[in-house]
Amino acid sequence: MRIRRLGQGLLAAAFIAPLAVAQAQAQQPTMEELLQRLEQQEQAIKVLERRLEIKEETDATAAKSAGVVKASEKGFTVQSADGANNVKLRGLLHIDGRALLSEDDTIVDDQFLLRRVRPIVEGTVGGIYDFRFTPDFAQGRTVIQDAYVTGRFAPGFQLTAGKFKAPIGLERLQSASDIRFVERAYPTQLVTNRDIGLQVAGNLLEDRLAYQVAYLNGSNDGRSSEDFSDVEVNDDKEWAGRIFAQPFANSDSFALRGLGFGVAGSYTSQEGNATQTLLPQYRTPAQSTFFKYRSAAVATGDRTRIAPQVYYYAGRFGLLGEWTEVSQDVAMPGTLGVREDQVDTTAWQIQAAFFLSGEEESFKGYKPNSVFSLENGTWGGWEIVARYHELDIDDAAFDGGGDSFADPLASARKASTIGVGLNWYLNQNLKWVLNYEVTSFDGGAADGGDREDEEAILTRVAVGF
Amino acid sequence: MTQSNWTLLRSGLLLLAAALAAPVLHAETLLNVSYDPTRELYEDYNAAFAKYWKTKGGKDITIKQSHGGSGKQARTVIDGLPADVVTLALASDIDALVTQGKLLPANWQARLPQNSSPYTSTIVFLVRKGNPKQIKDWGDLAKPGVSVITPNPKTSGGARWNYLAAYAWALRQPGGNDATAQGFIKKLYKNVPVLDTGARGSTTTFAQRGIGDVFISWENEAYLATEELGPGKFEIIYPSLSILAEPPVAVVDKVALRRGTADVARAYLEYLYSKEAQEIIARHHYRPRDSEIAAKYAKDFPKIEMVTIKDFGGWAKAQKEHFGDGGIFDKIYTN
Repeated sequence: MRIRRLGQGLLAAAFIAPLAVAQAQAQQPTMEELLQRLEQQEQAIKVLERRLEIKEETDATAAKSAGVVKASEKGFTVQSADGANNVKLRGLLHIDGRALLSEDDTIVDDQFLLRRVRPIVEGTVGGIYDFRFTPDFAQGRTVIQDAYVTGRFAPGFQLTAGKFKAPIGLERLQSASDIRFVERAYPTQLVTNRDIGLQVAGNLLEDRLAYQVAYLNGSNDGRSSEDFSDVEVNDDKEWAGRIFAQPFANSDSFALRGLGFGVAGSYTSQEGNATQTLLPQYRTPAQSTFFKYRSAAVATGDRTRIAPQVYYYAGRFGLLGEWTEVSQDVAMPGTLGVREDQVDTTAWQIQAAFFLSGEEESFKGYKPNSVFSLENGTWGGWEIVARYHELDIDDAAFDGGGDSFADPLASARKASTIGVGLNWYLNQNLKWVLNYEVTSFDGGAADGGDREDEEAILTRVAVGF
Repeated sequence: MTQSNWTLLRSGLLLLAAALAAPVLHAETLLNVSYDPTRELYEDYNAAFAKYWKTKGGKDITIKQSHGGSGKQARTVIDGLPADVVTLALASDIDALVTQGKLLPANWQARLPQNSSPYTSTIVFLVRKGNPKQIKDWGDLAKPGVSVITPNPKTSGGARWNYLAAYAWALRQPGGNDATAQGFIKKLYKNVPVLDTGARGSTTTFAQRGIGDVFISWENEAYLATEELGPGKFEIIYPSLSILAEPPVAVVDKVALRRGTADVARAYLEYLYSKEAQEIIARHHYRPRDSEIAAKYAKDFPKIEMVTIKDFGGWAKAQKEHFGDGGIFDKIYTN
């Protein structure tokens, strides 16, 4: 029986086995089918790759036309994809403190003040036209500091129209963010600050020589056109020009690369009147007035300025010097008729700066090696500064006794100031400035002697971006 | 300042301004914003025109070209690209410059002969050597398993001609109507794996990336592929019915007047109708308008039955119905 069942099983197996093999063979894809499938897979991969490629092309095209928004320590910028058009939002905030240590501290009240509050909008349109608009809301008034457009047609030919810094004083041309003392030195008080007009400027010889020629409404020493509400008060204009060389600017020489020197000057012939005398006043670093003309004196003709200037920066050390003379024709009705004379006023300064923390000194800006952080134990940049500056008024201003252009019992003939300071750069945008300045005078006291020395502590918290 | 000094200063400034402006005013440039496949045509034509313009007493001229999908190019001009002339794939793209950009008058098409179309073209099929999928006519493109390459009608003028040619064929089939035509178009676009933004991109997809069985192509672009991108690798198939594509040209008045290039821009387009230009056009496989030149190159342009844009009620109607936002193409492609 068992043998019979075994035989039946073998017989069934013999029949089924070939059928199963045949079925299995029928399920195997042919070579042609395999090639077809391979081709389909290959096409699918190519399609995916191409779709990716098209997406990348589309994204790249979109990126080319998309604007760019940037934020950095230099401000906030909205820029077209090609960079030809951009608008930057920047700002400058100077919070000052002034204190006089002199016995006669009634000349200037000890005070905190907002010295500069300037939102700055600047940018470029069409790739070569730069513009800048800077209002200033400090000290309870609104002033337009800058409002100009510059066409950069070529490195050697740039045309500016609007209100801008007159190209005369070296320290005046240094940005308010970069000056090393709270207040600029005396030579700056003899040159025009900002004025309205036209300027042609350029950089030649691979930036080793810069020039500026400006044609301006004309402003008083140290002052801006806002003294006249930014409106011209007469038909007379002022020419100003400056040429400045940095002969080793592109040199490998560490010792010479930071040397720059030049000369600037201006000329105008303007007639003042009882309303606009067109004559200046001069102040100490603490902003106390130590010289002013009598109220009846007016400008009456030529005003000429000459201003040789130099700076030198090498590593941690920086030096800046300038000498300025302004010759002003002055007239005043006196007891013997109208007195006229030329008053020559000179000022000069030399200032030195040294980064204790190792940063490089330069005319334009600073970059601290570290930022102040208690957490990280870093202290930012530390810089010491010192300067000597003086302003000397021509004796012609005091000649004539009671008919003198300036009252010798109220105005000093000369102010000499020595100042030292410490600057702490907490980071690229924030600094704290501390100055100690001592000013001595020749004349100017009511008793005919010298005005009392002025000792001043000046401090500033400055934010700039 | 005295009067004489003022006069001197003014004169000096005027002279300075004139001296600075002189080189700028002397230089003459023209920007031709065109559609995708015309790169090679206008490279040759620009050289010929510059030579011609000089002989006519004109100044040296530099002609710049910009190419892309026709619709996309029109958008760019509307957005501010200072095109002195446009040479686009279809009239509706230039109409957009009128309606959306107000850059030229509405009668622009009447300002030059033949509706401002100095050359025509048509739509053909480019298949791989041996035509492995045996594609003969539009109906084959909607069959399962056939991979079709055509650009996006939303951005490419050529793609709109492709679409309309297919639509016209479907309408002519037995029992054909708008519903059956749309059904056919839907099946066709289901076979499209990649939608490029322009015709040149689709040429790259088909000829260089090796994707697809058939490329619905401008006639000139198909020749370019067979002659330059893969000699011996492709075949051109003329379907039983195609469409007469009339790429138009126009001066962009607002730009040309502002830039002082109106005269040279007009001359640039008028010269397209000259014998010399028509010869260049024919050599680049665009169908010339000039009968003499057309006869000379007749063997290069097989005669096939063609519909025209008038069969669709003109471009304004066709554009709105088929390619406008929410139009037939949007419905077909998104559903």
